[in-house]
Amino acid sequence: MNVALDAGAAVYVAMAVTLSVWIGIFAYLWRIDSQARALRREIEREERREQPAAPRATVTRVSAGEPVEK
Amino acid sequence: MAQRMAQAAKLLIGVWIAAVAVSMFVVVPQYEGLGNAGRIIIMHVPTAWVSVLAFTVSALFSGLYLWRGQPKHDDYALAAAESGFLFTVLATVTGAIFSQVVWGVYWNWDPRQTSIFVLLLIYAALFALRSSIEDVARRRQLSAVYSLFAFVTMPFLIFVAPRISDSTLHPNCAFIQGSKCEGVDLGVGTLGLLGDRKVELISLDRVGDVVTAKVEVTEPGMASVATLSPTYDTASHKIIDRPNFPGLRFRLVVEGVDMVANSVRLNIEAPGTGLIDNGRTLLTFLASIFGFTALFFWMMNVRATLLSVQWALARREGSRI
Repeated sequence: MNVALDAGAAVYVAMAVTLSVWIGIFAYLWRIDSQARALRREIEREERREQPAAPRATVTRVSAGEPVEK
Repeated sequence: MAQRMAQAAKLLIGVWIAAVAVSMFVVVPQYEGLGNAGRIIIMHVPTAWVSVLAFTVSALFSGLYLWRGQPKHDDYALAAAESGFLFTVLATVTGAIFSQVVWGVYWNWDPRQTSIFVLLLIYAALFALRSSIEDVARRRQLSAVYSLFAFVTMPFLIFVAPRISDSTLHPNCAFIQGSKCEGVDLGVGTLGLLGDRKVELISLDRVGDVVTAKVEVTEPGMASVATLSPTYDTASHKIIDRPNFPGLRFRLVVEGVDMVANSVRLNIEAPGTGLIDNGRTLLTFLASIFGFTALFFWMMNVRATLLSVQWALARREGSRI
C-alpha cells in the first residue's frame, strides 16, 4: 500500500501539496508584481524625459518707432 | 514608507494564507460523517465569496469608467472581472470535489451548479466581447456596459436561483450553531438535502391522524443507504417519531404534511449539526475569507498595473493591441 495515501499520512501529504502550490503562486505573484511596478516606473520616467523642454526665450513687445537692439 | 507598508502587507498575505492552509489540515477537527473531506469548506466558501466581491468591484469600476472615462478604471474593471472568473472556477472545482465525496458524483446539474456554470458563461462572454472589438475606446465602453448587465445577473444566479428550487443538494441553510435550518419540502419521489445527507421521500402512509413518511437517507460519499420512518400527528400538529440518522445524534423529523400535494416538510434536529459550529473551524473559516479577500485585491492591483503598462507601450508604439 502507498504510504502517502495511508489515512494518517494523507492529511499531511495534502497539506504539503497545498502549501507547495501556495508558495509557488505567491512567489509568482510577488515576482510579477515587482516587475510590473518596475516597468511602470521606467515608463513614467521616460515619459517625463520625452516631454518637450519649456521655452527659454522671452518676447518683449516693442512700441513703434523704438529702436530695437540686435 | 507607503511602499514598505505595501510590501509588508503582501508578505503578510503570504504568511496568512499559508497559516490558513496549515490550520485547515491540522487545527480544524474532522467533521462527523464527512471525515477529512469536510475540510474543503475552508477553501470552497471563501473563494465563492471572493468571486461575488470581485464581480461587484468590477461593476463599480465599469460604472466609474462610463462616468469619468478614465482608462485606469477600465483596467481595474477588467482585472477584477478576471480575478472573479478565476475565483469562481476555484469555487466550482472545490465544490465539484466536495460533491463527489458527499453526493457520489462530480457534477449532477444541481441548481447551484447550473447557476454557477451560467455565471461563468456570462463572464466568459465578457472576455470574448473584449477580444472581438478592435477599437480601444469602443471596446472599453461596450465592455463596461456589458459588465454592468452581467453584474445584475450575479446576485440572482448566486443567491436567488439556487434557493428557488427545494430539490437542491447544496446545503442552503446556515451552518453556524444557533441558526435554524428551514428544512426541505419534498413530494413523493423527489430528492433534497438535509445537512450533508441526501434524502428522498419514498412514500407517505396515513393511518388515522398519524402520517408516516418513508425516507431514504444516503450517507455522504454514498457510504450507505438507510430507510427512516419519522411520523407526524396531523390533528395535534406534533412530531411523534424522530428516528436518528444511522450512527449519529442527528434526528430526522416531519414538521408538516400536505396530503393534497402529497408532500412533507422534512428537517434535521441536532444540538449543532454545522461544519462551522466548532470554534477552531469558524476561526479558520473567517481567516480564510479575510486572506482570500486580501489576495484578490493584490491580484487585481497587479493585473491592473500590467494592463496600464501594456496600454502605455501600445500608445508609444502607436499600435492597437
